[in-house]
Amino acid sequence: MLIKIAWRNIWRNRVRSFVVIFAIALGLWAGVFASAFVQGMMEGKINSIIQYEISHFQFHEKDYREEFKTELYLENTSEIEKQLNADDRIIGYSSRLIAMGMVASANKNGSAKIVGINLDDEKQVTKLDTRLKEGSYFEGIKRNPILVSTRFAEKYKLKLRNKVVVTVQDLDGEITAAVFRIVGFYKTGNGIFDDLNVFVRQSDLRNLLKIQDNDVHEIAVLSNSSDLSDPLAKEYQGQFEDQEVLAWPDLSPGMRYIIDIFDVYLYIIVGIILVALLFSIVNTMLMAVLERVKEIGMLMAVGMTKSKVFMMIMWETIFVSMIGAPLGLLFSYVSIAYFGKVGINLATDVYEEMGFSNVIYPYLEAAKYLDVTIMVVFMALLAAIYPALKALSLKPVEAIRKI
Amino acid sequence: MSHLVIEANKLSKVYEGVVPVKAVNEVDLQIEDNEFTAIVGPSGSGKTTLLNIIGGLDRPTTGNIKVNGNELSGMKPNQLIDFRLNHIGFVFQSYNLIPVLTAKENTEFIMLLQKIAKNQRDERVESLLKEVGLGDRMDARPSQLSGGQQQRVAVARALASKPDFVLADEPTANLDSASAFKLLDIMAQLNKEEGITFLFSTHDQRVIERARRVITLEDGMIKSDEKR
Repeated sequence: MLIKIAWRNIWRNRVRSFVVIFAIALGLWAGVFASAFVQGMMEGKINSIIQYEISHFQFHEKDYREEFKTELYLENTSEIEKQLNADDRIIGYSSRLIAMGMVASANKNGSAKIVGINLDDEKQVTKLDTRLKEGSYFEGIKRNPILVSTRFAEKYKLKLRNKVVVTVQDLDGEITAAVFRIVGFYKTGNGIFDDLNVFVRQSDLRNLLKIQDNDVHEIAVLSNSSDLSDPLAKEYQGQFEDQEVLAWPDLSPGMRYIIDIFDVYLYIIVGIILVALLFSIVNTMLMAVLERVKEIGMLMAVGMTKSKVFMMIMWETIFVSMIGAPLGLLFSYVSIAYFGKVGINLATDVYEEMGFSNVIYPYLEAAKYLDVTIMVVFMALLAAIYPALKALSLKPVEAIRKI
Repeated sequence: MSHLVIEANKLSKVYEGVVPVKAVNEVDLQIEDNEFTAIVGPSGSGKTTLLNIIGGLDRPTTGNIKVNGNELSGMKPNQLIDFRLNHIGFVFQSYNLIPVLTAKENTEFIMLLQKIAKNQRDERVESLLKEVGLGDRMDARPSQLSGGQQQRVAVARALASKPDFVLADEPTANLDSASAFKLLDIMAQLNKEEGITFLFSTHDQRVIERARRVITLEDGMIKSDEKR
């Protein structure tokens, strides 16, 4: 009966109840969607890192990542490649030669990361060929083709088939340069990556650096799943102790830190919204209690215990919250599912400048919905306490005097 | 043989303030079972305060009050709530039904608090609502009933717990003559046929005329006690 009374009580003032329910639903949607937006942004960034930059894990010579010296290369990588070829968890790998050097066009010069790639291997691992905006994937130019990003081309005022001079330090420590010709423009959506990386054929860079065949600076490996990154890296590190094998979060520690921070972002933003909602619910329920002083007083007078009055008000508050919350979550789910497919185009380069994609695909793990539900239930209980205590403070005799 | 249902000795109630007000002043009162008694007096004479003390809603400043031999003054708040539920029926001037419950549910509500089994509840609710002439309005909510009908539901509710007596504070004050007479007829019939003790606080002449005992209060003291 208590539950029946509580349920019917919330419909005594339909407009007020609907306003609160709508406020809860809207607030929750805003919080969850904002979190999904940020999470989608992070997922985009992680995918970008895995797809274009790091892959799931990489092999390097020890100290290479700190010093970037040309001579710190992986020697005779055939044993590593043999193991990777035999592992059915590995989708593909790409061996790279890397040099930090200068690129000069007729209009500008600046630093760049010159990456020497095996064309077919790189297609398998980073799908670089699918990111071409103009030109071709190393076709049509026989001698020293170079692939740069559209952003790079814009800054250096480059067109297809234009020449650029690439200057690097070779294995002997000598400065050496070669003329490359623009074969195509790529775009990954990660502005920082696009600004820095230019791609050349590995054989061309090998000639410049004077590094022998089978020696490379980096082997980037793509596995079946991101979840395998850490375990596979550890497994291969055990097999190749003289080299450094690290998974993508360790290769990009800043990213791991950001992910950890954004993991709690959901809880912070939803928490803030719930606190605001809490006051709104408390205010509404308090009004509902104070306008029923006589009735509550009568209930106590005829023999309803304080605990039952307390529970009645608690139920009313919980009902209001529990109608609003599923609505908010449902709306969140639908909108996240929709925008997760079509994406949200921010139509600005600001995010790209920071290394994020301009098109965000909101995403939220299923477990997070459960977490938010638990937070809402907790908030509802918390919001219910004060109005319920207020009801308890009423004295039946005072209510009776008003009759 | 009749016995004392209510026994008040030297009851006083003082409301503290800048000027303390003695609302009830050393009242001695005995009510036997099966009485149909009206406490009358002008506004501020202490009728409602006395009724509240008798009903365990308020505590006397001095004196003591026994209901069926149970001393109320020494009871803890929770004991008092339990005592009111099982021993006292209340009828208020403004009916005070639960607006979201039907007539049937309003009547049944008290028995639910008493944890009475459903079949017993159903039987008693039906019987009580028929007795007060609302057998055909059991599923109506208070807003769908007239004032007189609502007050009859309140009487059924007061009787649902099988109380030792019913306290009715100005029960006819908000009713038109026809409704007031009908209500009084029902209460008089319940008193006569089922031996239910009624104690009214009123200044309604229609109630006073029906009462078999009239206690007149003035300035918190009993001025007269007339048995008819």
